[in-house]
Amino acid sequence: MSHKSAVNGNRGQSRGAKWFSSWNNYLFVVPALIFMIVFIGFPLLYNLMLSFQNVNVYNLSGKHDFIGLSNYVKSLKDPVFYTALQNSAVFTVLSIFFQFTLGFALALFFNQKFPGRNLFRSLMLLAWMLPVVISGTIFQWMMSGDFGVINYFLQTLGIIDQPINWLSEGSTALLSTVVANIWIGIPFNMIILLSGLQGLPEHLYEAAKLDGANRLVQFRHITLPLMRPTILVLMILGIINTFKVFDLIFIMTAGGPVNSSTVLPIYAYQLSFTTLEFSQGASVSMIMFLILIVISIGYLRMSSKEEVH
Amino acid sequence: MTNSRWRMGGSTFIGILIMVVFLFPVYWMVKTSITPVTELYHNPPHIFPVGATFESYINNFVRNQDMIGYIGNSFIIALGTMVLSLLLAIPAAYALARLPIKGKGLMMISVLSIQMLPGIMMAMPLYIMFSKVQLIDNFAGLIFADLIHSLPFAIITLRPFFLALPGGLEEAAMIDGCNKFSSFTKIILPLVMPGLMTVAVFCFLFGWGDFIFALTLTTSNSVRPLTLGLYRFIGQYGTEWNNLMAVATIAALPIIVIFISMQKYVVGGITAGSMKD
Repeated sequence: MSHKSAVNGNRGQSRGAKWFSSWNNYLFVVPALIFMIVFIGFPLLYNLMLSFQNVNVYNLSGKHDFIGLSNYVKSLKDPVFYTALQNSAVFTVLSIFFQFTLGFALALFFNQKFPGRNLFRSLMLLAWMLPVVISGTIFQWMMSGDFGVINYFLQTLGIIDQPINWLSEGSTALLSTVVANIWIGIPFNMIILLSGLQGLPEHLYEAAKLDGANRLVQFRHITLPLMRPTILVLMILGIINTFKVFDLIFIMTAGGPVNSSTVLPIYAYQLSFTTLEFSQGASVSMIMFLILIVISIGYLRMSSKEEVH
Repeated sequence: MTNSRWRMGGSTFIGILIMVVFLFPVYWMVKTSITPVTELYHNPPHIFPVGATFESYINNFVRNQDMIGYIGNSFIIALGTMVLSLLLAIPAAYALARLPIKGKGLMMISVLSIQMLPGIMMAMPLYIMFSKVQLIDNFAGLIFADLIHSLPFAIITLRPFFLALPGGLEEAAMIDGCNKFSSFTKIILPLVMPGLMTVAVFCFLFGWGDFIFALTLTTSNSVRPLTLGLYRFIGQYGTEWNNLMAVATIAALPIIVIFISMQKYVVGGITAGSMKD
């Protein structure tokens, strides 16, 4: 927000300045603002209110009692909540780690000049642009136990002896969704890191070469420090977006078997739309929201710090 | 320079290998969709098509017309999301970039924060609210819900395009007899066309790819999009993967077409929308 309003630079008593600072400027933002208040602000407040009441499908149209923090206490006592929290953490950390490292490796690779580079780079984005429902369905088929092509590859390579039911075994279900999510996230990480790499000043590398620094030294002492702002923002955005992944897991495993791949958004969905305990679901959403707020405050702090530099 | 030519050739070769591995799932989708049923459960699977057939496309799009309805609904929802997002976001992004108004900082922070809201957190209160005002099973309801994510994205992505224009454009237009609104529509908007294209593409994609709101805010097939059609199909047909993959391929087709024709706007949009303030 460091930019000054472009037209405000023209100070003085000209007709322009007066013209620009009139009330009808607000007409430009009012439609979007009204939309956001009605369809975002209001549902959020409603969700907050529900989380302190005892609303479910049976008493939805009747009177509701204010029951304080009971829903939160109940959620925090539910063992499934902790399973979901742990799965969310595993899903997020593993996804981000591999999306980032593989994305960075590819960004470094595509930062070289060679024929076909632009074509390859944009082809990769296709994976990211596909609706998640489609990617999830493809991975469900590839990972199926009997005729899945992944079992075939792994058996051919001698990595496994027997076909594995990746999605219907408790020990592999969550990891399988992580693999699919890594595939979806790599192109995004690559593109962001690549645009960061392309903004780095060339002359630093030339100077380093003259000083006899090899590629590894250049990477450690020029690339990584200069890429710090990009990496930080990418990490935080990645954490926020991965933490709220719902579609992919819902399509591939629906949280099963026996909650082994249930993450917090799936848990909130089950409460709100399967058991129809609206208030209970609202409390889980609110806890999720609080976790995201903590992460986002970190994001805003970092990005405002980076802007100062 | 033969040395560097060899190295470039080597990089291209590695690039092709990466593509083959990375795009395998997309290939597998298309390949499965043209595999005859008898081939489907062949063990070990054939990596290349054997006895290719368009049977599963004919089954799902000619003999059975259910999917056509889903496709139409997807277009209505995606186009609606695109148009409404642009209508609301363009003036807002312009004002936030170039007009002196109070509360800009607060508005930008709100818009940024909305992006982090989990879909499921919005879906439940919307479900209750919408059931009270007959917006369940309604295109408008789905489009409004999709706008929760596309509108903030559109504002954040468009704002830098307006900021990048030189100052004083509006004053010049005013001298030529424009007022505030006509200078905006006649002078400013044509200059940010690339930005508008990018945002239009992405808002369409948001609408086309939505699943969570389609899942929670519909109760009948009359408004359900193709993403939900595909999901329900998995439940109905279980392991008829050739049929499923044919539907998936058709659902992916508009994305592939948009991707090929709008490539430069897509790449610009990803970096602009995610990194700029």
